[in-house]
Amino acid sequence: MSHSIMIMCEKCGGRILPVTYELVSCAALIAGLYNSRITAVSPGLVTDADSVPGAELLVINSPGLAEYTCEGWERAALLAAEIIAPDIIIIAHTSSGYDYAPRVAALLGGCCITSVSGIEFSEGKITYRRSGFHGKLDMLYGTSNLPLVITVLPGAFSAYDHRAKPGMTRFIDTDINPVFTSNVQFSTPDQSNRELEQAEVIISAGNGIGKAENLQMIRDMASCFIRSAIAGSRVACDKGWIEYSAQVGLSGKKVSPQLYVACGISGAPQHITGMKDSKTVVSINRDPEAAISRYSDICIIEELERFIPEFIRVAKTYRSHRNE
Amino acid sequence: MKILVCIKQVPDAESRPMINQGRTWAGYAEKTTYWINRFDEHAVEEALRIREMIPGTKIDIVSIGPERVKSAIKRCIEMGADQGFHLYDDTMDYLSPSLKSQLIVDFCHNREYDLILTGVMSEDIMSGQTGPMIAARLGISSATSVMKLEVNAARRCIRVERELDSGRRCSMDLALPALAAVQSGINRPRYPSLSNVMRAKNAEITEIKCTAGLPAPGYETVERIQDIGSVRAGLRLEGTTEEKASKLWQMLHEKSLI
Repeated sequence: MSHSIMIMCEKCGGRILPVTYELVSCAALIAGLYNSRITAVSPGLVTDADSVPGAELLVINSPGLAEYTCEGWERAALLAAEIIAPDIIIIAHTSSGYDYAPRVAALLGGCCITSVSGIEFSEGKITYRRSGFHGKLDMLYGTSNLPLVITVLPGAFSAYDHRAKPGMTRFIDTDINPVFTSNVQFSTPDQSNRELEQAEVIISAGNGIGKAENLQMIRDMASCFIRSAIAGSRVACDKGWIEYSAQVGLSGKKVSPQLYVACGISGAPQHITGMKDSKTVVSINRDPEAAISRYSDICIIEELERFIPEFIRVAKTYRSHRNE
Repeated sequence: MKILVCIKQVPDAESRPMINQGRTWAGYAEKTTYWINRFDEHAVEEALRIREMIPGTKIDIVSIGPERVKSAIKRCIEMGADQGFHLYDDTMDYLSPSLKSQLIVDFCHNREYDLILTGVMSEDIMSGQTGPMIAARLGISSATSVMKLEVNAARRCIRVERELDSGRRCSMDLALPALAAVQSGINRPRYPSLSNVMRAKNAEITEIKCTAGLPAPGYETVERIQDIGSVRAGLRLEGTTEEKASKLWQMLHEKSLI
């Protein structure tokens, strides 16, 4: 029997989002080993180009699939799985992906591996890499229990060549209407933060700053740099130290400044997704094992309360020397 | 209302995992501190808030793990939960979310919970699967990354607000029974009151042995654990605090960043 890979298109407002093409790249890697057939599944109609380069397209058309609901996407995935009989189902690790992917795996009697950041091959076997143990270690998963559902971290694979030939498109008309879910409403609270978006230097605070009073030290450090802004990890925002509009990470902002200074940030994958494209990364952390070290150009292993005031003092000294 | 909160006990984020000999799992030193998974603590708090709105609500806590897990369950009772259940399992190895969700589904049998709450993921392994899998196996709806939750007892539903990517939100009504996996911004967990701490002293945690009943493997396995490859140079500055600060300033100055 031939090997088959199913990709779930990531969509918003009827459009296929670019992360879908990253899923095709991931599928193509696996397909290289098994000579698999790759089918992309779109729950609901597609408004732009009705094609996905490098994959066949199966459109599950139903009025109930205009926007994402867990229930709708789950049923669309199960219907598509019946048609495609996939060995592997690839879904983006986004707010919708991690919402329904484990359910699909459970209902198909398969396995699920979430936030996959890479694929490794050895002796004809595939392992799926993701980080665990507070982001301190890599875990390589394998399974022979199919189908396997994986969710792939956005940015983990590069987008598939957009010039590649798309396969044929099929439409299935069906009637999927959510039964348990109603009154679905989308909103976009104003989370704009021009200062952060334009900053060349970002000083970012994490759980390690310990208390609200230490925020002043972060602000003082930021004022050592020009065009700087302060930001924070999810925990720093949850604790009320930093505004949510300045949260960096998967559920917050994606930033790419010239310099990102992570203060007391452990480096959970969700945070890394938001800052990994920064030009230079400096981390200040008392935990030498913290995952953030792996994503830093320069690591300072120190108590923040000792190091940061010292750095500010040094910066002031150099500045006054130059002004003399 | 009958609410079940599923919690996990996790090691302190700063503790150091030690890879075992077979390189298939990592353990922690004996003196490691364990606490309630941060996200699950928010789930417990949300259950307590619902009980404040709907008097008569019963809150059960369930957790899977070795003996030490009892202290996390006890902490939830100190926060105000009614009853604790410990699904005893001392497997010092990877436990698939598929298996954990099945154990909790078996536990739920005949208990008729209206609402199941859990954290959006665990702080340590971060797979975020157990909640949605429990719901799928029970045939009920679920929502993850829940930032707001209101119970409408008359309509037998909850209204939840989910956090989406890039700051968007989505609200919806879910018919009860349902499961909500909460995100940490949903509330601020309370500290245990003295009276609840006293009450917890006498509270009995029901232990249910599940090791014997573990189904045969057939789930995903962890084939190998390894150090994370460094993505960047990770140059570690050495010396006194002053020397490090000075060195950092110079390096940033050379790059025209300061």
